[in-house]
Amino acid sequence: MAEFTLDCLGEACPVPLMKTEKKMAELSVGDVLIVSIDHSCAMKNIPEWARKQGYNVEIEEVDDGEWEVVIEKTK
Amino acid sequence: MSETSQVSSASSIRRSSASSRRKPKKNQIPIGILVVLFMVVVGVVQAQRDPMLGFYWMMGGIFGFILQKSRFCFTASMRDPCITGSTSVTRAVLTAFAITTLMFTAIKYGYHSMGLPIPGMSYVTPISFATAVGGILFGIGMVIAGGCASGTLMRVGEGFIMQMLSLFFFVIGSLVGAAHFGWWKEKFIVHGPSVFLPDVFGWVGAVVVQLFIIACLYKAAMLWEEKKMGGNQE
Repeated sequence: MAEFTLDCLGEACPVPLMKTEKKMAELSVGDVLIVSIDHSCAMKNIPEWARKQGYNVEIEEVDDGEWEVVIEKTK
Repeated sequence: MSETSQVSSASSIRRSSASSRRKPKKNQIPIGILVVLFMVVVGVVQAQRDPMLGFYWMMGGIFGFILQKSRFCFTASMRDPCITGSTSVTRAVLTAFAITTLMFTAIKYGYHSMGLPIPGMSYVTPISFATAVGGILFGIGMVIAGGCASGTLMRVGEGFIMQMLSLFFFVIGSLVGAAHFGWWKEKFIVHGPSVFLPDVFGWVGAVVVQLFIIACLYKAAMLWEEKKMGGNQE
């Protein structure tokens, strides 16, 4: 159950999602990825993508305009 | 429901290392109240000059609020199918078009049935090579800039510096376009056909045709997403 972080602060629209996709492909089942974002579009489209893939997702607003998206690779 | 128990196990993994990150957030409610008061004052002052100005101000604020909360994005509607295969925003835009079709037809028909000149007919413009070129340029630009017109304005309001830069160049680009518009108009636009669907299919027919096309596009969007993303679909 390894934990990985991905820093996407300052990245504009499609970039956080694309980086997340690539990173998730490297993880094994049971691993957790924490993506730090500050773009509100990504706050919507990363969890949506992750849920479509069947992963567990949790979003937390750690600071004004900054979120951490926690994705658990379940399969 | 089962997702919540698994999600809490995911968060229990990270708690230990991440708890130091959480800073106390500044309370933004006082600023929020001030901004709302400011908006009301500006709206009332402008409405004294011309009631329509107050109306536009209010509509602008409402549009921005809805765009921001819903994260509706024209750029995402065109870009996501290519990048991730997700068409949820594309379908949202299609739904918006469908509703708009009904409403605008109602407005135009209302004027027509009273024998009054139909408003907005100046927007029935010819389609031509200029439209295609403009579309491609705008598409490239909006993906790089991270927003089209409404999205850029909304993000300027959110405080994104990048979109403030986009807005500045958006204005410059529009000025350049306006300066050259005569050339495009003469060389391409006037040579294109101009079609107002109710002239071709009648009022009811036009709505039916347009909604049918939108429905086909909606179905195509659903199929695209299934093909590209597979797995669990709601």
